[in-house]
Amino acid sequence: MKTTFNLKRLIAAGAVAALGAGAVSAQTLTMGVRGGPESLDPHFSALGSHAEAAKHIFDTLVWSGTDLQIEPGLATEWTPIDEDTWEFKLREGVKFHDGSDFTAEDVKFSIERIPVVTGPTTTTIYVRRVSEVEIIDDYTLNIHTDGPAATLPFDFVRLFIVSSEAAADFSTPETAAAGFNSGEATIGTGPYKYVSWEPKGDLVLERFDDYWRGMGAWEQVIRKEIPNDSSRLAALKSGQVDLVNYVSSVDYLALERDAAVDAIKGDSVYVMNLQLDQREDTPKVFANDGSKLDENPLRDPLVREAIDLAIDRETMVDIVLEGLGKPANQMMPPGFFGSSEDIPMPEYNPERAKELLAEAGYPDGFKIELYCTADRLPGDGAICQGLGQMFSQIGITTDVNAISKTVYFPAQARLEYSVFMNGWGTLTGEASYTLGSLAHSNNPDVKLGAFNRIEYKNDKVDELMQAGATMLDADERRATYEEAMELTMADRAYISIVQLQTVWGAKAGALEFDPRFDEDTLAFFVKPAE
Amino acid sequence: MLGFVIQRLLQAIAVMAVMSVIVFFGVYAIGNPVDIVIPPDATQEIREEAIRRLGLDRPVWEQYGIFVVNLLQGDFGRSFIYNEPVLQLIGGRLPATLELVLISVVSATVLGVSLGIYAGYRPDGWLSKTIMAVSILGFSVPSFWVGLILILTFAVSLGWLPAGGRGETVELWGIRWSFLTIDGLSHIVLPAVNLALFKFAMMIRLARAGTREIMLTDTVKFARAAGISERVILRRHLLKLISIPIITVFGLELGSTLAFAVVTETIFSWPGVGKLIIDSIAVLDRPVMVAYLILIALLFVTINFVVDLVFALIDPRLRTKAAA
Repeated sequence: MKTTFNLKRLIAAGAVAALGAGAVSAQTLTMGVRGGPESLDPHFSALGSHAEAAKHIFDTLVWSGTDLQIEPGLATEWTPIDEDTWEFKLREGVKFHDGSDFTAEDVKFSIERIPVVTGPTTTTIYVRRVSEVEIIDDYTLNIHTDGPAATLPFDFVRLFIVSSEAAADFSTPETAAAGFNSGEATIGTGPYKYVSWEPKGDLVLERFDDYWRGMGAWEQVIRKEIPNDSSRLAALKSGQVDLVNYVSSVDYLALERDAAVDAIKGDSVYVMNLQLDQREDTPKVFANDGSKLDENPLRDPLVREAIDLAIDRETMVDIVLEGLGKPANQMMPPGFFGSSEDIPMPEYNPERAKELLAEAGYPDGFKIELYCTADRLPGDGAICQGLGQMFSQIGITTDVNAISKTVYFPAQARLEYSVFMNGWGTLTGEASYTLGSLAHSNNPDVKLGAFNRIEYKNDKVDELMQAGATMLDADERRATYEEAMELTMADRAYISIVQLQTVWGAKAGALEFDPRFDEDTLAFFVKPAE
Repeated sequence: MLGFVIQRLLQAIAVMAVMSVIVFFGVYAIGNPVDIVIPPDATQEIREEAIRRLGLDRPVWEQYGIFVVNLLQGDFGRSFIYNEPVLQLIGGRLPATLELVLISVVSATVLGVSLGIYAGYRPDGWLSKTIMAVSILGFSVPSFWVGLILILTFAVSLGWLPAGGRGETVELWGIRWSFLTIDGLSHIVLPAVNLALFKFAMMIRLARAGTREIMLTDTVKFARAAGISERVILRRHLLKLISIPIITVFGLELGSTLAFAVVTETIFSWPGVGKLIIDSIAVLDRPVMVAYLILIALLFVTINFVVDLVFALIDPRLRTKAAA
């Protein structure tokens, strides 16, 4: 009799303890993330990790969904009312964290604040087309642009709205960081309120109960910055954090076998593209004996086709990336605005590649130096090594240089490379971002082609991209971009290899969320598992 | 003596001037930060604007001139990445590194020297041999690997200690410290052990070598003959004699650990200056890199300066002793 009584008490006590523990863990979400933010001023930096953190506290005018296609955010609808004016209708009844109302004044203030306080990774790109913001009433704005700006709503997916009242005194380059990092000006309309932050340390947030999308699942969110991949995973396994992003492909295999941890795999926006220099004189291509060639073989379509045929994309995904990727046939993931369904998946045919090389006048091949980053995106260095071997098989002797991004990007900008591989993410979800920067010829007059570092030029593509930029009709513009994409890929100066995938790790059975294409880890959209 | 001090001071200033040139132009040579920090979809116009704002459009010698003029006024510039004054950024993270480094270097020294003396005193005992074997391990295993193993064992498998971060902090003199709370202390243990291991091994070997040498000297023999107890010999004579090299090494180790705690800080996500500098290098945050390197150069120049002064002070004493 006595024993049962004690047992009962024990069970009761255990149940209370379990309940208590459960309640606590359900209220706080601790995330281990690789990086960011640089400041809590959402207008300071355009880096993805910066925006990811800002999205917890601030809202954007236009929301970019998990598949990066645009949806209403703080603006409920937008329509072009003439050639260079967009009308934006704002959501009514939205509150800032300090209880004040969100109005058109805050949008105008935020847009005008950006060029003043932005840092080197400039957020000015989001408002570059805006010439004037006109307030019609509290919930209607007319945004005037410098000429027809078809992609304006896409630009606005990173337009964070700050409170014009709270940020008024903190809107010069000198005062902005202090005001926002201390929390004084960090008043947004987002799902979470600022509690504390230190650079490179923890960002602590508290739920905002009046959030317009509804109340978040977590009372408190702690966003810990843990840049080292192994350390981040260790923090998850030791129970210090509930969720981590960017699990490496090596760890992914181990996680698959670990019952205590869920590995959540999602498609990434990043596509790895091989880039072939189109200049007449290119620096890093040589004859087999190391001497200079008379002309740049990369300008020959037959050579470019041979290089394309030499790439075994399936092997690249299965072996090199441990399954974390998908073969790619164009520079954007499928379903993005302007990606074409008519582009076939390139085949792998090394025999045909050798024939093409012979036909082009290089029966014994030639020698190239292949450059890529080794520390920027998952698998970048490994893919590069893989490419080197595949090219060598068709007779193109390849020196692989997988190097740090700090060395790679400046050298690439100085046009020092001939054959190189870049990861490119179409972060706005539409083609003008990608083709406008890479495929259009570098032309400051039309503000296009700033990242075209292989001097690729196809007059038809240029023409289509320029025309698309002014087409306010979405369907017409989509068709134009699709055509430009098809032409660019057919030229093979850019050869897409794989679309990457990203892995999150979470406590087994504890959390539910949809991976986003832009790899953002947003606490509001993470729910405790049922 | 005053002449010597002035001469050394001038030398130190010259070294700093040369260092500033090397550091500035070295960092400048790595590459242009704009290529890393400016987003790819920026138009050419926006790029130009960002370059102009950062002052990167000026010729390098002019940039250096501006840097030096600001430096002499105590202004190290603003970080490109954080938009905060560099000194404030580094200063804000220095306490974290400082407490980690002090705890590990001091405990490594105290423990290492004690064990080293024991190993030197009884060179043939099994315990001494074990101590020496451990010290070899401390030397030869890379600290990166040790760090990961520590995390794997004590954080992941056993779950005794946290895997990283700084834990709860308490404010003292306006600065946040971890070592004053239980939670903070538990966060320090693993990184401190990781950081201390190499120094610990070195202190053991240093103390052992010194002990073995001194135990065979006439001083010790005469002391023993005079009937002085072993305990007193060890404390009064041995410890004093071996402490000179140990203090020198302690000072230098303190400096270099402060400067290069990078690996440990990265593995344990310890928010100190080491981690800051690695992150800054990854994005070519020039002002932070330059300021950090200048400060480190200053640290070493200062340590050497102080060491030289101490030797100059010690010198006459040694001479009188030799004459006596």
